[in-house]
Amino acid sequence: MTRHGGWGSFLTGIFLGAVVLWSFATSDMDLSRLLSAGPRIVEFVGRMIPPDPTVMAEIVDGTAETLRIAILGTVGAIILSVPLGFAASETMAPPAIHYSVRTLLALIRAIPLLLVAMLMVGAVGLGPMPGIIAVAFHATGMLGKFYAEAIDGVARAPVEALSSAGAGPLVRLRHAIWPQMAPVVARDTIFRFELNLRESLILGVVGAGGLGFYIQIYVRSFQYDKAASVTITVILLVIAIEVLNVALRRRFS
Amino acid sequence: MSSVVELDNLGFVHPGAELPALNGVSLAVEPGEAVVLLGPSGAGKTTLLAILDGRLQGWTGCAAVLGRRLVPDAPPPVAARPDTGFIFQEFALVERSSVLRNVLNGRLGRMSGVAAFFSRHSEHDLDVAHQVLTDCGIGELAHRRVDSLSGGQRQRVAIARCLAQEPRLILADEPVSNLDPARAGEILTLITSAAAKRGATTVFSSHQPELALRFASRVVGMTGGRVAFDHSVGNSSDEEIGALYQDAIKGAAGLRLVQ
Repeated sequence: MTRHGGWGSFLTGIFLGAVVLWSFATSDMDLSRLLSAGPRIVEFVGRMIPPDPTVMAEIVDGTAETLRIAILGTVGAIILSVPLGFAASETMAPPAIHYSVRTLLALIRAIPLLLVAMLMVGAVGLGPMPGIIAVAFHATGMLGKFYAEAIDGVARAPVEALSSAGAGPLVRLRHAIWPQMAPVVARDTIFRFELNLRESLILGVVGAGGLGFYIQIYVRSFQYDKAASVTITVILLVIAIEVLNVALRRRFS
Repeated sequence: MSSVVELDNLGFVHPGAELPALNGVSLAVEPGEAVVLLGPSGAGKTTLLAILDGRLQGWTGCAAVLGRRLVPDAPPPVAARPDTGFIFQEFALVERSSVLRNVLNGRLGRMSGVAAFFSRHSEHDLDVAHQVLTDCGIGELAHRRVDSLSGGQRQRVAIARCLAQEPRLILADEPVSNLDPARAGEILTLITSAAAKRGATTVFSSHQPELALRFASRVVGMTGGRVAFDHSVGNSSDEEIGALYQDAIKGAAGLRLVQ
């Protein structure tokens, strides 16, 4: 009865409509402001053209730093995720432990990366280090969960068979569990590295190193032509990551 | 106590089940015998084999395998486990690993933990592996990945892994249940002749009486978790084997009436 409409869907419709109206009425939307902004947008874009190519050195530096943040952040996440992945695994850890570790990983995932980065900048100062720590922390929330799922996803029968043959727990892990989970772990880690790389591009906006740092500096000092050069680099890098990702997926599927 | 298997009044109830899977099973298997467990599904054959392999705990009664008493609340010590080889019905192979790797997995229980972890196999391990691969007729598949093999080839890998343990007791759960009679004959020949060559004792379960009796020296009929009959193959009769399955049919009919 509730499946095809009735009061349930009518009330849902009313509620959704009310939410949209409330958002519109209370967020100071004014179409005339948007229309009168035309000349300013033109001016703004005009100051970005032509992009200033003299910032090449900064772009190379920023790109290298972004790569370093993504690489070291991913390595840090792997180091944290391996033990947490085991602790979050149903087949490896008792319920009391794997439920609490899963909750912890969910909490970590719930904290936005930029917030972590801002806190880290406050704690250890500007530069790539807060970026690396933030990426490692944030990525662990996802990677730890993925690793636990990779462990729990293996077929149990071969593990039993090795147990029957007299292999201890670590030997079973090495020869029955690892060969089954390795391709999943590789795929998940590459996927997370790709996300880390994307996120590292804008981390600098809060002062945590990488290309984003230069965007922030140039925008604040009204050097829009330089900011445009960095932005174009970011776009090109995202496209490059996408191309690389497609190639890797073909390799690991 | 020279028997390879000695069971006295063995009982087992699966957690949550009402009827026992095993109910007062007593059985002695002597060295070199090839025993077939016959009986319908649910007779307790798989449960019995799992207990003999040390994989199932929580049973009652007394059990000894290869002169070692089993305890009902803990698996046997790892050092004792390679002596009992198990051929799993669904093969239980590591699909992404090579045939040789899977067969060498059968050697892991005979190695020190460190050597096993790092796959430091001795010359002897490799000799054993290649010998069993040849015996099983899959020598040329050694470097193929298991997930590229046919079902029949996988089964031979599963048998080879079991033999690589150099077990003194070979247990096999329905090793020929999914095969046509010709293939089934080949597989039972392989298992029983490999066991005979190594002086090992064999206990296997089967649904195909006429085939199994050609390869076994002794037949144990099971139904409803009990041993219905137990004697040498020469003394078995079609009637008593037929009765095993009759009972199961009646039991199922009775269940239907109750429902």
